[in-house]
This record gives sequence, structure tokens and C-alpha cells, in this order.
Amino acid sequence: MKCLVVDDEALARERLIRLLGDCDGLEVCGEAAGGEQALGIVQAEQPDLVLLDIRMPGMDGLETARHLLKLEQPPAVVFTTAFGDHALEAFETQAVDYLLKPIHPERLQQALDKMRRLSSAQLEEVAATQDGHQRAHLCARVRGNLQLVPVSEVIYLQADNKYVTVSARDQQILIEESLKSLEEEFADLFMRVHRNALVAKAAICGLEKDVEGHFRVILGGTDERLEVSRRQLSAVRKLIKAGVVG
Amino acid sequence: MVFAVVVIAELFAFVLSLAGNAHDPWSELGLASLFIQWIALSSAAVMCLARPLLSRLGDMAAALTSYLLLLLTTAIVSELAYRLAMQDQNLYSIQHAGFLFRNLAISAILSALVLRYLYVRHQWRQQVRAEAEARVEALQARIRPHFLFNSMNSIAALTRSDAVRAEQAVQDLSDLFRVSLRNASERVMLEEEIDLARRYLRMESLRLGDRLQVEWSIDRLPRKRLVPSLILQPLLENAVYHGIEMLPGGGRILISGGAEGRRISIVIRNPRATGSAEAHRKGNRIALENIRLRLQLAFGEQAGVALREVDDEFETTLYFPREKMQ
Repeated sequence: MKCLVVDDEALARERLIRLLGDCDGLEVCGEAAGGEQALGIVQAEQPDLVLLDIRMPGMDGLETARHLLKLEQPPAVVFTTAFGDHALEAFETQAVDYLLKPIHPERLQQALDKMRRLSSAQLEEVAATQDGHQRAHLCARVRGNLQLVPVSEVIYLQADNKYVTVSARDQQILIEESLKSLEEEFADLFMRVHRNALVAKAAICGLEKDVEGHFRVILGGTDERLEVSRRQLSAVRKLIKAGVVG
Repeated sequence: MVFAVVVIAELFAFVLSLAGNAHDPWSELGLASLFIQWIALSSAAVMCLARPLLSRLGDMAAALTSYLLLLLTTAIVSELAYRLAMQDQNLYSIQHAGFLFRNLAISAILSALVLRYLYVRHQWRQQVRAEAEARVEALQARIRPHFLFNSMNSIAALTRSDAVRAEQAVQDLSDLFRVSLRNASERVMLEEEIDLARRYLRMESLRLGDRLQVEWSIDRLPRKRLVPSLILQPLLENAVYHGIEMLPGGGRILISGGAEGRRISIVIRNPRATGSAEAHRKGNRIALENIRLRLQLAFGEQAGVALREVDDEFETTLYFPREKMQ
């Protein structure tokens, strides 16, 4: 069985790899210091198990796990963390496996015996209980590979049937999420301009009226002008006036 | 409460009849008791009724209103008593105005004393509560469990690979916890506090490696100055927990300090991580309130903490007077 160790602290990785070395039938196929690196290794090495630190800079463990589930055959995941505060209650109620650091060899063995697979419903449930938890990336599977778009680079999100188009400066991906849940998760960064579209507040440059008399929002980084519904017009105007926009 | 009012009123009746030189002290006591109990109990009743109103007023206005209510009650009860006495002409030959005036004067003095007593007691209780809260907060502001367990994990890793560093880490961690278990009001030399901060940062760099850069610029800082313990470490812990740890590339913490005029100040600058800036602000607020409270208990109003956000950095400044602590 192949497994991957993900932790931003070198000493924590060192110890966990040593503990795993004492377990039978196990091969550590790599180590990663962060979520993005981990996703790359998972795709290259196809491990059966990923041991994921929860608190990491950039892409944290929870977000990494949510992206991993986009893979066709996602690996089993066991989270590791140093302090069992109330946030872990959510993990417990959702039956998501975790280990407390410093990890006991026996507990590690138990986790390996169980090897729980996660469902995205479980993880979303957990993420919802983590106050203000926000992904740093949006992710789609393109031809079997994961493609990540940093949320900070997204210009707009547009819904079309069951997909949402994520549009960034130099790439576009389709994700299978609802616009409503995206609006809730990123309420501080994006605003709704139309029934089918959210735009990054930082990208809004101004408003213009097209030949048919509809208002359209001018966005930095793209020539696309999204239509603004009458309902959202005053909110967009207010934002432009407040000077929050880039 | 009512019982206390009755007892105090009765004691006062005793005082009055002992001080007076009436022919028949016992009947004097009886009449005085009856009269004073009436005033005391009706005052208590009035105050209870007025409670909802009083609680909406400020301290000063509530005190003044209570005082006037007490005087008014005395005046009304006295007036009623006078009318009652008048029906029996033989009982007493008392002068109406004089009777009212004397009662009001006595009531004015006693009410003032009682209100003053209640005010002092109230203040004392508030102070006790504030101190208790400060103590609890001081306990909570101490070293995070997150730090303890992460450090233990680092030590567990080092015991096999680098026993010397593991040993040093155990020593540093022990020192940190020894200080955190001390009394919150204990004073230490500034140099001890700085030494402790260095130990703390050494523990963290064990774990974070190159991601944590520390720069000290404290040559001009007086070392022999007594300060409350743990005024620096909680701020550094925030800087690491919310700042450095949340940045994939890490960052630098700059600690500078010096004395200007009659003031000593210590400034901590650290990068701000975009994702956790809000949590950082909240963490800072709690730690800052606690440190401000302890600094002001030690140095009075001239001490304090200030927080600024400059570009992508948090800047926290501690300041306190150069003179000896109170």
C-alpha cells in the first residue's frame, strides 16, 4: 500500500514517516509541505492513503481533501492535527478519521486498519462548521487531471445549467457547484450582478449601457462585459462609488 | 434584606432614645421605634418599586434620585405622623415645622451615609469581579495548547534524529511553562522577559525552520526594569500563529525597542497573512486587552498597547514609563 505524508513542518513529516516505516506492507511514496504540492504528487503517484495535516498555510488540509475527491479514484484520507479543539467535533460527527500529534503508533495502526474513504458530503458538512472556512482554490478535473484556479485570480463565476464557469485571467474551468453555495462561501470577495453571475469585487471597474439599454459591468482583466440585472444595479453602483473597486 | 433594614432602624431608635433625656425612656423608645420603622420600611418599599427606573439611570443620577426619594418618603411619613399625633392633643405638644425640619435633617444625614456605604460596597464588589476576570483572562492568554502539542511533536521527532536539540527544546519548553504557571501579577526584569521570548522563538523555529526569521534591535532598551511577566510572548505567539505559520513562504518578525524621554517602548512587526487576517485581529485584541490591563495595573494610565496595520504588516507597540513601577 502506498501512502503520502503531507505536513508543513519538516519534523512532523520526519516522525510520521518513521512511524509508517515500522508498519508492515506500507510504502511511503512521497512527502509534501503543502496542499498544492500534495495534489501534484497524488496524481503522479496514485497513493492509496494520504495523511493530511489540517492546519497548513495556503491550501489547508480540509481544502486539499475536498479537491482530492474530484479525482476518479480518490485516496483514503486520515487527518493529523496537534490540538483537539472543538473544531474536531465536526470531524468526529462526520466519522472522518484523524490522529492527534504526537501520534501514537497504535492509533496509527488502527487508522490504517480502518482506512476510511471520504465522501464530499462529509467534508462539506465539516467545512460548514469551521467558522469562515474558505477555499483558496477552485478545482476541476480536466482530462483526468486536477486543474486549480486560485480564488484570488478569479474574475467572474457564471452559471449555466449544472455547471459554473470559473473565469480567470488566462484560464477557464467548469466546476460542478451551485452558484448559491459559492456566493455564500466567498461573500466577502464576490458579488452577485445577475441571477446567473458573481463577479470579483476587486475586478469591477465600472458600468456601461449597451445598445439595448441593459447595464453591463466592466471588469479588469477581461473584455467580457457581464449583464447587470436591475435588481442588483444599485448594489453595484454603491460598490463603485465606495471606491472599493480596483 | 428587610430584616437588616429593621435591625438597623431599631438600633438607630436606641441611639436616639439613649441620647435624649426624656422622663420615660421606654415609652420614648417605643414611639421612636414605631416612627423610625415606618420611615425605614416605607423607604425600602419605595426603593424597591423605583428599582426598574433607577437601573436605567447612570450612577450619579440614580444616586441623586434615590436620595431625593428617601427624603420625600421621610417628609410624607413625618407629615402623616404629625396629623395622627394632632388628633390626640394631649400626647405631645410639638411644633409642626420644627418636627418636619428635624426629621428631614436626620434623614438627609443618614440617607447620605447609607447611600455612600452602598456605593463603596458596590465599587468594591466590581473591583473584586474585575480582578477575578483579569486573572482568568491572564490564564487564557497564556501559552496555547496548539503550541504545546506541536512542540511535543517536534521533540518526539528529534529524540531519534538529534538528541542534543531535543534536550535543548525540553529545557526551553520547561522554562516557558514554568513562567506561564506563575502568578499573573508577578514582576520580572525586562531582560528575563526578553530571554523568555527568545526561548519561545527558538522553539518555534525548530518547527518552522527557515520560514521563521527573527530580527532583534533592542540595544537601546533598558534591561533592568521590572515589568509584569508574559507581556511579550503572547504577542509573538500571535505573530507566529496567525502570521508566519499561515504564510507558505513564512516571514520575518522584527522586535525593536528603546527609551525615549520618560517612556520605554517595544515594537513588534510581523507580516499579515491574507487568509487569517481576521482571526489574527481577534487574537490580537484578546491578547492586547489582557496585556494592557496588566501593564496599567502595574504602571497606571501612562502604560498601554497600540496596534497598527502598516502595508502588509501588523505593528504592535507596548509602552510604559521609565520610572519605577508603582
